[in-house]
Amino acid sequence: MSILIMNALVNGILLGGVLALLAFGMNLIFGVVKVIHMAYGQSVMLGMYVIYTLSGIYNLPLLVSAAAAIVVMTVFGALLQVVVIQRLLQANRLNQLLALAGLIIVFENFAQVVWGADLRGIQVFMPVLSVGNVFIKTSNLVAFVGALVVLGLLHFFLQKTYLGLAIRAIAQDLRGAWLMGISPRTIYLVTLAVGGGLTGVIAAFFSPIYSVHPHFGGSFTMMAFIIVVLGGMGNLLGGFIGAFVIGIVTSLAAVLTSTEIAEIIALVIFIGVVMVRPQGLLGAKQQR
Amino acid sequence: MLEVEDINVYYGEFQALFGLSMSVGEQETVITVGPNGAGKSTLLKAISGLRPAKAGRISFLGQAIDRLQPHRIVDLGLVYVRESGQVFPQLTVLENLKIGSYLRRARPGFKRALEEVYGLFPRLKERRDQVADTLSGGERQMLAIARSLMSQPKMILLDEPSGGLAPLIVTLLFEFVAQIKAQGYSILMVEQNVKKALKLCDRAYLLESGRVRLEGDRESFSREEYIRQAYLGI
Amino acid sequence: MKRAVIVLIFGLIAVFPALGPSSYVLHIATLIFIWSFIATAWSYMGRFGLVSLGHGAFLGLGAYTAGLLFNSLGLTPWLGMILGALLAVGLALIIGLACFRFGVIGDYFALLTLALGEIVALLLVAFREYTGGSLGFTLKRVEPSLLYLHFDDKVHFYYLALAFLGAALALWKLIDRSRMQKALRAIGEDEVAASTLGIPIVRYKLYITMVSAFATAIGGVLYAQYVTYLNPHTLAGVAPSLDIAFKAILGGMFHLWGPSIGTALIVVLEEYIRVVYGTRFVGISQIAYGVALVVLIMFLPKGIYGSLEGYFRKLRRRS
Repeated sequence: MSILIMNALVNGILLGGVLALLAFGMNLIFGVVKVIHMAYGQSVMLGMYVIYTLSGIYNLPLLVSAAAAIVVMTVFGALLQVVVIQRLLQANRLNQLLALAGLIIVFENFAQVVWGADLRGIQVFMPVLSVGNVFIKTSNLVAFVGALVVLGLLHFFLQKTYLGLAIRAIAQDLRGAWLMGISPRTIYLVTLAVGGGLTGVIAAFFSPIYSVHPHFGGSFTMMAFIIVVLGGMGNLLGGFIGAFVIGIVTSLAAVLTSTEIAEIIALVIFIGVVMVRPQGLLGAKQQR
Repeated sequence: MLEVEDINVYYGEFQALFGLSMSVGEQETVITVGPNGAGKSTLLKAISGLRPAKAGRISFLGQAIDRLQPHRIVDLGLVYVRESGQVFPQLTVLENLKIGSYLRRARPGFKRALEEVYGLFPRLKERRDQVADTLSGGERQMLAIARSLMSQPKMILLDEPSGGLAPLIVTLLFEFVAQIKAQGYSILMVEQNVKKALKLCDRAYLLESGRVRLEGDRESFSREEYIRQAYLGI
Repeated sequence: MKRAVIVLIFGLIAVFPALGPSSYVLHIATLIFIWSFIATAWSYMGRFGLVSLGHGAFLGLGAYTAGLLFNSLGLTPWLGMILGALLAVGLALIIGLACFRFGVIGDYFALLTLALGEIVALLLVAFREYTGGSLGFTLKRVEPSLLYLHFDDKVHFYYLALAFLGAALALWKLIDRSRMQKALRAIGEDEVAASTLGIPIVRYKLYITMVSAFATAIGGVLYAQYVTYLNPHTLAGVAPSLDIAFKAILGGMFHLWGPSIGTALIVVLEEYIRVVYGTRFVGISQIAYGVALVVLIMFLPKGIYGSLEGYFRKLRRRS
């Protein structure tokens, strides 16, 4: 029994790494543009479909399709900002939520029309390592390490570059940054582009692990929400911690009970946080 | 240098400024005084682009700026320092100053501007790695002004810089403003502390209920009976 | 003038089946009535700022309670309806108390209800020995009768659904005239001010939430009885919850006819595209629907009916 738990624990941690990327993207967008990207998981799904199309149908090597997916999703993120999000900035939060939720419907059905409702996976052989009694899939390990590397790069970008500094400034004081010569529109564009590119990266890590289908984004979007709220909306470190907490909890719960119960537990955590401590673990106290 | 002609500014349905006109010349220090709600801050917000005027014209160095967004206006050399020393709370002092030089034209001169600013405000140099949130009110106000200098402006709009500060700090602050004035910047300052502000300025405007009620150079303004009674307590 | 038009429309709708339309058209009309009923029920809460993205929870609870009791015990859906609705009310009470006591409002409330709807869907799937899991289950075949809400032709359900819709609209009007409406309006505009005026915030919010839950659950039973098939993804979870909210908001959730208009438009649009492009491209109708929704929220936040009304009011003011 404990072997099962060990495995679940390890895989939970590995999953947490990629979830941390997901949380980072959502937190970045929320922190800077002040919008909850309801369709973020669905964007990852689209990225996976791009990889499927290039590697699964046209047989390009995985690295090439991954790179292509990142580029495509970066552009996609930028387009989303210009076409949809920029116009939503005047609306109240609820309308923003609903409009972005509408995007969920658009993306999922687009996927269904173009690629059909069946599972689409790419065949990539990645061995399984064993350390003692624990079995680790290299695909998961690569995802974990890769996620940490990307997070490190993003951290470096935000802390050490002028553009990163500008992004942080806009997140903290929009007017102040505006008065210092930073164009909010430009920063929003960069943020959504980075967020988009990140979905491409996540898609690249997920593709060897999961098969994609039109509703794939659904549980990941929900998961991302839960993590982001748990850690504190807009708080990057909180998202990082929250990702591992949720990754481990759901992994253990799935093994001890069932996948559905695991999701229910995560949702209950979510509800609990919203009710009792809506600012999450590390977020600033806010008025509801 | 700065010409404001006949502007109307609104907050929704509510009109705050009525056909207001004023100007600031090269290397001039102009102050705007008046009671709360007179529209002094609104004037600065209109000039800086945060709250555009619905009518009238504003021009800076001969260029119309009333339709421009704030980030373009600061690029022309006109920077606005808001009230209450608002800085980026979770950035360090140095990072705040770096943002000041964000403009492409200001970046090459970053190192030199930084030295100048550290010279004017040595306390900021000491605290350069400290997070702005942890500074005292006076230090934050210094930082806000310093940051604006980093953008290598030609003219600075100061919004009640002495607001909420202890008297000792206020004295220090006005000394700083005097030093900045001495370096050749044009300044438009909105102030509650009329006594101290008058000493610094070249010209002054009195705003009441969104209109200019009085204007004049320092001498004639100080001699106005109304000013002496209402604002100088004489 | 307005009243005459309404009477005329109702009259037309009432005699419509006698004019000999195909059973397909009757089917569409019935669907519109049922979903309009549900959308209107949702709007009982929505119009006062309590936007729920989890009404699938109530829909599913009602439908599954009645459906399971029907299949296993042969219990008449009328009773099952009441039981399911009571369960939904119970859930609404618990969640409502928790939320309103803790001051959870606005988009946090919306997200919380989203999670709730999903939890119910997941529970329905998890108890698959009873519910048939993701594949759902079909209602037992019985002799057509009013008692078991089962008919061989479409006309009966047409009138039944219409009657329920009428009841929902009548309830809306009733709420409009009540003290609760004024209180909720005040709460919607400024909750703090309202509470200082002595308005019992939690109580009124709870009332309207329970009413909405009750009606929605009944709508769920109605739908399940009509299609005789229950599935946790069509009756609970994120998809139907968002669907209901969208239908109401599209038409305008602040007005009596708003939700019905929104529903009618969406159902017709979906059917049209399904007929023209075939089932594979049903996705396209959804895409169009999603895009329409996004665009509408961007440009017409008051919904179609609300914006039209506002537009006409402006015209009248100008003349």
